Amino acid sequence: MKKEDTVKLISAEGFEFVVDKEAAMVSQTIHNMLTSPGSFSERQHGEVTFPEISTTILEKICQYFYWHLQFASGKETEFPIEPELTLELMMAANYLHT
Amino acid sequence: MGGICSRKRDQQVNEEGLQRVVSGRYCRSASTKWFRAKALHSMANHRLGGASRPSLMELCIHKIREDIDKYSSFSILPRDISQQIFNELVDSHCLTDVSLEAFRDCALQDICLVEYPGVHDGWMDTISSQGQSLLSVDLTGSQVTDKGLHFLKDCSNLQALTLDFCNQFSDHGLKHVSGLSNLTSLSIRKSSTVTPDGMRTFSNLVKLEKLDLERCPEVHGGFVHLEGLKKLESLNIGCCKCVIDSDIKAISGLTNLKELLIFNTSVTDLGISYLRDLQKLATLDMEGCNITAACLDSVSALAALACLNLNRCGLSDDGFEKISGLTNLKRLSLGFNYITDACLIHLKGLMDLEFLNLDSCKIGDEGLANLTGLSHLKALELSDTEVGSNGLRYISGLNKLESLNLSFTLVTDSGLKRLSGMTSLKSLNLDSRQITDAGLAKLTSLSGLIKLDLFGSRISDSGTAYLRYFKNLQSLEICGGGLTDAGIQNIKDIASLTQLNLSQNGNLTDKTLELLSGLTGLRSLNVSNSQITNEGLQYLKPLKNLRTLNLESCKVSAAELKKLQLAELPNLITFRPE
Repeated sequence: MKKEDTVKLISAEGFEFVVDKEAAMVSQTIHNMLTSPGSFSERQHGEVTFPEISTTILEKICQYFYWHLQFASGKETEFPIEPELTLELMMAANYLHT
Repeated sequence: MGGICSRKRDQQVNEEGLQRVVSGRYCRSASTKWFRAKALHSMANHRLGGASRPSLMELCIHKIREDIDKYSSFSILPRDISQQIFNELVDSHCLTDVSLEAFRDCALQDICLVEYPGVHDGWMDTISSQGQSLLSVDLTGSQVTDKGLHFLKDCSNLQALTLDFCNQFSDHGLKHVSGLSNLTSLSIRKSSTVTPDGMRTFSNLVKLEKLDLERCPEVHGGFVHLEGLKKLESLNIGCCKCVIDSDIKAISGLTNLKELLIFNTSVTDLGISYLRDLQKLATLDMEGCNITAACLDSVSALAALACLNLNRCGLSDDGFEKISGLTNLKRLSLGFNYITDACLIHLKGLMDLEFLNLDSCKIGDEGLANLTGLSHLKALELSDTEVGSNGLRYISGLNKLESLNLSFTLVTDSGLKRLSGMTSLKSLNLDSRQITDAGLAKLTSLSGLIKLDLFGSRISDSGTAYLRYFKNLQSLEICGGGLTDAGIQNIKDIASLTQLNLSQNGNLTDKTLELLSGLTGLRSLNVSNSQITNEGLQYLKPLKNLRTLNLESCKVSAAELKKLQLAELPNLITFRPE
């Protein structure tokens, strides 16, 4: 995986997730950060910090990104969501516009 | 084929702009980020039809719906998210006494519970806990009583309240409404609670812009209490039979009124004369009132009038010369009157007309000569008139016409060639026995057609070959009995179709369903009165968007149909046999 094809997503606790840019850009918010003109530091360094998203939730978000890509390519499986995570996940999804 | 002629009776003439404001959802929250319409019914069991990829938000909301009993409160969520969850539970009928409790203090803006089963006073505490955030409440058809309405006093920011078809509260309950001084819209349809005394309450609602009391049987005498509502722009007292001329006099000073609906009331020419000062009035619906064309004298003084409905008023030609002064009219409905060609002369100068309804009038070909210059006409209803092929030459130059209804007229196949240049047509109704394949052949240039009604026309298999010219067709009806499976070959490739009615073609077999299985955009399909059997149902599996399906009077059993719905067609709401 070439570095320029990936992006590092960092949770509130400092845990780092390295994911494909294509996957991360499923989020409209991340998409905007990485593509809008100007010098967003996120764009320059290829990493985004989410001080309000916990590691557990961010991991779930990353799983969703890949599930979304699979779904788009025709593999329609179910995406599992644990009830205890739902509310927090929604707040993150709202922020990430995904 | 016996059913063919009976259909016309049930058909509602489409009045579009003049339509009686449907008691629909009234949403005040402006969140456009997530569209409400994207109801998750379409993702039942995660079986999504085709390309739509569910967002994480949609998946979460769907999950909550499935496990709603695991959630005790949504109040930590931002308002727009809890609003979406609430809407989804309502849309899917999953909201109950218990799950409602999770929405306490969620600062919701819209509570729309139209015809929701089981809504009673016990719900009102949670509803009122939204407090100052609450902007609109719709309790249409609920069992709420005076006690329940009392809770609304804490929601003083409420702008819209709908209590249509609620018959459990009294005028005492209405008094609680009088404190809601921010209300701009109030609707209490079909309630005998709205009496002259109960209407006293309305005098405090000085911000009211819209008041809907349709079908309230006891309002006579109460309109004096509206006199101070100077902001009122829209008043609907349609189907209030008790409303008489003196009631119209009481509202004659509401000069801000832009819309007045008094259809099917007991108002006469005298009552109409009291409207003279309503110079902002743009919409006036007097359908079914006991008036004569003499009242057009008063009506012609309403210079701002753009929409006028005079359907079913028993009018004859005398007095219609006055209508020629209403040059701002865009929509005019004269259907089901005794007017003749002589009346149409007075429409000649109404150059802004976009919609004209002459359904079931005594008009013929020569009358249409007066319409030739109405170049803005978009819709023309000539159903059940004496218009024949010769008359069409007068309207064939109306190059903005999008909708034309010629059902049950004298127009024949040969006349249809006059329509061939009307390429702006999107909707065409030719429901009539004398229209055949030969007529359809003359219409192949109308490639913009979206809706084609050939319900009773005698179209055969060979005639269907002409349908392939209509590449944008979304709605098609051919029910004249002349089709066999061979004809369906020409329909199966019209991929834009969403509604298809092939009922009464008694020779269609399972082969028809096999041929139609590629029309995945279909939302409504009717092949009733045919030879279709249970074996044919398998071909419907790909039609994931189907919402209504009618296979009545076929060899199909209700049980097999139910099975198909459960296993394969998650969006199917209505089906026959049931």
